[in-house]
Amino acid sequence: MAAVSRTRPGSGHQPERAAALAGFGRYAGPATLILASLADGPKHGYALTKDIESFADVRLAPGTLYEALARLQAQGLIEPLESHDRRRPYRLTSAGAQALRAHLDAQRRVADVGLRRLAGNWGVA
Amino acid sequence: MRPPEAAARRAGTLLRWYPKAWRSRYGEEFAELLICDISERPRSWARTADVVRGGIVARLAAAGLCGCTLEARDQARASLGSLACCVAIFLGFGVAMWSQLTIGWQWSEPDTAATTVATVAMSAAMLVFALLALAAAVPVLWSVASRVARGRPRGLLAPSVLFLAGAAVLFVGGRHFGNGWPGTGGHPWARQGLVPGGVAAFSWASTLAVSSYWAHPAALAAFPPAELAWMMGSPLAVALVIGGAAMAVRRAELSPRVLDFETRLSTAACAAMAVFLAGCCAWIVDGGPGPRNLFHAGAIDVAGAVVMTIALAGARQAARLARQAVRGPGSSDACRGGSHARPGGSHARPGGTGSLPGGGDEER
Repeated sequence: MAAVSRTRPGSGHQPERAAALAGFGRYAGPATLILASLADGPKHGYALTKDIESFADVRLAPGTLYEALARLQAQGLIEPLESHDRRRPYRLTSAGAQALRAHLDAQRRVADVGLRRLAGNWGVA
Repeated sequence: MRPPEAAARRAGTLLRWYPKAWRSRYGEEFAELLICDISERPRSWARTADVVRGGIVARLAAAGLCGCTLEARDQARASLGSLACCVAIFLGFGVAMWSQLTIGWQWSEPDTAATTVATVAMSAAMLVFALLALAAAVPVLWSVASRVARGRPRGLLAPSVLFLAGAAVLFVGGRHFGNGWPGTGGHPWARQGLVPGGVAAFSWASTLAVSSYWAHPAALAAFPPAELAWMMGSPLAVALVIGGAAMAVRRAELSPRVLDFETRLSTAACAAMAVFLAGCCAWIVDGGPGPRNLFHAGAIDVAGAVVMTIALAGARQAARLARQAVRGPGSSDACRGGSHARPGGSHARPGGTGSLPGGGDEER
């Protein structure tokens, strides 16, 4: 998680980024999964698929994966590395780390509120 | 055939759904991923459907009609080129209907207020289209001419030749067949029209291919051979004009100021299309069954209105994406930072606006 730790704490742009992520629409899921996977280090397409399957129990189909990779790359949130054996790894950029951090923070706030209300009103811890 | 070879072959087949530029960038690594996936799951309709959908999205993105995977200026040019195609398709059907109404008006005024208002609205929109086309063409032609003058016509020769050839065929053929039928305004007593008779005649002749006679082969067979040949050949000329114009827009090195100007025109063009379509729909609703001569609306007009609606939707999407690309980073969540993040370009943008793509679509 070294890349994520490079984010600027208390950045004034955080709410804006979180709002932008909320508007990510149907690409929010794959993009978040890819960024979260790349936060652990560079990976190529197949390694991304397997890693995401292992930690999220979601298998990204090839077309969906590369559609999201192309968009993330175009936005400067990930970058390609040198290709090896017909496989090109991608790594997170610092902008991508910030965007992921802001998005996960927003998701955590929602999760915290939801869990607190469940515990208070439904007795579900 | 050994399993790995079969997987590679199937991966190659699936890869063909993607456009050439995408394949040259991602093809090798994507094929490798597909081979691994096929090896794990030899049969998967979901994978095939996903790849097909991804290929279509990639083609739409390359045409500037969705997503923001192109560099800002490329995005603007691609979107403007696609917008030109959408407007041309819209006008292909629109002009056919409009010329029918204006030719009808040469003989007698419309018999209902709704058709009268609709025809006037469509004519006003056509005038706006003509002015917008002129305003849009001048900077593009200037850019093309200055490149040719500087001795750098590479890439522009083919679109210029295609455009000029198509336009010449349309002009000559349109004039020839427009003058060949008295009902198109050439008749001496046809002087009561809303627009000049020659304009109506030319519009009618250049869109002669948009005809319900295609569904009636027996009637079609009674047409003069030259007219039949024109009905079959003129769509090709229109395609040459559209293709040439779109290619020229994509390849011309338009300055940011010109791109900004063109995108403003594109917004105005969408508004004119909406007005035209509204008039067209009003006429179709008003001009249903019954002997109303040329003011009668038939099934082909309904089909044309459907095509025009789809073309308007495409044009609006292209205009919106072109506008977002021209405004540049920071003005749009959908394309923010696109120009900073190309392969081999600058990498991390510390402190930059790290939004994920796609925001603009949902926020509107």
